[in-house]
Amino acid sequence: MSNAVMQTEHSKTTAAQAGKYLVFQLAQEEFAIGVLSVREIIRTQDITRVPHTPPHMKGVINLRGKVIPVMDLRTKLGFPETEYDQRTCVIIVEILTEARSSLFMGLIVDGVAEVLNLAQADIQDVPDFGSTSPSPYLLGVAKTKGGIRIMLDINKVLSGHEVGGLQDILEASAETAKHSGTGDGVLA
Amino acid sequence: MQPQSATLEQYVQELATQFVLGGDQEEGPAAIAQMLSTLSRISETARSAGSQAVVEVSGQLARKLQSANGGATPRKEVQSGIEALQRAIASAASPTPAASGLSSLAQDMELVSDFIVEAREHLNNVETQLLAIEQDPSQTAPPQSLFRSFHTIKGLAGFLEFHEVQEVCHDVETLLDRARNNELEITSEITDLLLESLDYLTREIGRIENGALGKGTAAPANPAALLEKVRAVLEGRAVSEPAESAPVPMPEPQPASQAELPPQVQPAAPAPEVKKSAVEVPASASSVAASPASSPTAAATNGANGQQQVRADRLVKVDTGKLDYLVDMVGELVVAQSLIRHDPAFKSTTDMRLQKNLVQLGRITDEVQRASMAMRMVPIGQLFQKMDRLIRDLSRKSGKKIELETHGRDIEMDRNMVEELGDPLMHMVRNAADHGIETAEERAVSGKPPVARVRLRAQHQAGQILITISDDGRGINRQKIIEKAIRMGLLESGGSLTDNEVFHLIFEPGFSTADKVTDLSGRGVGMDVVKKQIHKLRGRIEIASCPGQGTDFMMKLPLTLAIIDGLIVKVGDERFIVPLASVREVLQPREGMITTMENRAEVAVVREHLFPIVRLHQRFDVKPKSTNLMDGLLMLLETHGRTYSLAVDELIGKQEVVIKTLGETFRDVPGVAGGAILGDGRVGLILDVDGLYKGSRNA
Repeated sequence: MSNAVMQTEHSKTTAAQAGKYLVFQLAQEEFAIGVLSVREIIRTQDITRVPHTPPHMKGVINLRGKVIPVMDLRTKLGFPETEYDQRTCVIIVEILTEARSSLFMGLIVDGVAEVLNLAQADIQDVPDFGSTSPSPYLLGVAKTKGGIRIMLDINKVLSGHEVGGLQDILEASAETAKHSGTGDGVLA
Repeated sequence: MQPQSATLEQYVQELATQFVLGGDQEEGPAAIAQMLSTLSRISETARSAGSQAVVEVSGQLARKLQSANGGATPRKEVQSGIEALQRAIASAASPTPAASGLSSLAQDMELVSDFIVEAREHLNNVETQLLAIEQDPSQTAPPQSLFRSFHTIKGLAGFLEFHEVQEVCHDVETLLDRARNNELEITSEITDLLLESLDYLTREIGRIENGALGKGTAAPANPAALLEKVRAVLEGRAVSEPAESAPVPMPEPQPASQAELPPQVQPAAPAPEVKKSAVEVPASASSVAASPASSPTAAATNGANGQQQVRADRLVKVDTGKLDYLVDMVGELVVAQSLIRHDPAFKSTTDMRLQKNLVQLGRITDEVQRASMAMRMVPIGQLFQKMDRLIRDLSRKSGKKIELETHGRDIEMDRNMVEELGDPLMHMVRNAADHGIETAEERAVSGKPPVARVRLRAQHQAGQILITISDDGRGINRQKIIEKAIRMGLLESGGSLTDNEVFHLIFEPGFSTADKVTDLSGRGVGMDVVKKQIHKLRGRIEIASCPGQGTDFMMKLPLTLAIIDGLIVKVGDERFIVPLASVREVLQPREGMITTMENRAEVAVVREHLFPIVRLHQRFDVKPKSTNLMDGLLMLLETHGRTYSLAVDELIGKQEVVIKTLGETFRDVPGVAGGAILGDGRVGLILDVDGLYKGSRNA
């Protein structure tokens, strides 16, 4: 659907670039994601849990007739879980997967702050933490008068590690299920 | 050029932001005004940079916004407008100054994908016509429409600079022109040649499509040999290479991976993002079921030709994306309507008029839903038509005389279904021709008519579609299958198996009893794929065979992939949908009905039969209302001929639900087949009855 958007987004994954960013909060920290992958922002809704999925995958919601998976970004990034409240939002993002199909996902965040225009001069590389390596999802850090914003690589958060890892697990379990299934089936 | 394009990009980002933020709140006019001012800045910058395309696209978007001023602008339209703008800017900024205006035309995705759709349609028509000519040699002159199809493709290809396609079409057109003027007789050699050209064009279209999808950029195949043959005919020379008097067009398109498919199969489903496929919708959509303007008898046997022409005027082409959107929205309408109907305020009202009006609204909503679903239905005839060609080629190649008989071409099915059925049907027909049907000598010995018969029949049966593929060949050799299965380690002995169980062994991976491996089939790949595909479509396959008399493959399929009847069940606070088709019985467990085996596996004894129990709350890790089975219900579910019982808390009711995929993220979750929007607007998970059962073995 949005080829052009996604391609430009993809090429930006190597380093944080200047542009418009949506700023949101998780616990005490402020994060920023590129505004071009954001489709809309909605309030929290009834979420239907899907079994056998990692804890940060909260389930699916109904967005005007479309079934969309939602992820709790707090859990995903290692923050403690909290109750959802009035400020809790779901940011609907769309990215292009490696298979070149578009993937919709809702991100549950504590609240949306603003849309910020970041200049290249505001953006710095992720600082070197010495022994502990930084999270693979970080693009950089933006320092403006408003404070520090951590810039997230939304493609990596949603695709690469996550989808792949999940699929490997699922395929492995499907494989074993099949084996134990067919063997008995023929003899039954 | 560079600085301007950077500015432009920035403006578009701004625009996208305004769009995203303005959308959720109801401040339509203000947001639109903002966007309009951004747009005018874009178009100014673009003008000064000299990128005319960007100016135009931004103008279009501005007009769209203005026309909707005040009212709600369809978000989709605006979004696609912004995307178009981004594309235009990106292409203006991309460093391809060498690209001339001409080649940019060939790179216009929209034009190219329109070309692909249109060309395919014409090629289908050509195939039907050619096969008709071959069947009925008395028809001397080629029909006008055959000529026109090639002519149209030629024109479009020339426009988009697909020179090879253009050249081939041109020569074929010349040839047909001669035939039309009675200067040339259409012999079977010429039909072969025409079919060969058709295959060439089909492959080229496939290649162009792959290129457009960014899946590799193979160079066009060289048509020289083909052109040489056509020119030879035109110049009155005999077609050279007498050794290949029947040049059966069976070159493999993509050597390794696709070797299993014959060349006329289009490369798998086009990727969704460039989805330009269209469904043909009868202009009077509401009465689809009754609309095909043809007598069933005429349509039943030979050619849907006349029928196609009659219907052509009454068709409009619609992008499938729009149809899906419509179906989604109608689904939402149904949910909204039922929310009102179940509203307590409404239930307590005594206003008769209000109630009457709401009932009327409900009736209309149902009708709209039915109509929108019916739009996806297409006749199965187009699928059968592909088999016509397959049988012809197989018959030539194997030296067996085979005739294809089809019934029920006008039976309608969901378009996706028809597409997904293509490959399995092709495998089965090929199988019938290769394994089922004997050689001419064998047939003579057993006193059968020399021309073998493969019969394809589609019919309605109890709300489902039954497709039967029968051949009058040698039948399935039970003993041979058992021997092979024992050799493969699938069986220890076959004595106690029923015929049906034995026959189903041929669907095991790697199973083939063909004595020799031909390039048609016998490699043992195929039937297991067929079975998998049919199951994916929620269908079943059955085999009946009589030694010496032939084999019937029966596929039972739902009418549509999109809707199922489901039973809504509750476990704890969560609701799940069980496909009604696999529910045999729902019962309240009584004392003494449930026993445990080895103190862990639970079994229900129902009328002397044992059914293993799967507790849904355990499988899905949900907190149930009660862990005592006596407090809940047992559902006997059938899957692949086995039955087990599923323990749930309670049954809520029956509902027809529209199946939605859970997307890539939740692909292949064991035990979950998909999702559906329930009456209250929440998503409910549809259970995968087979996956649930198999999953229980892991535990």
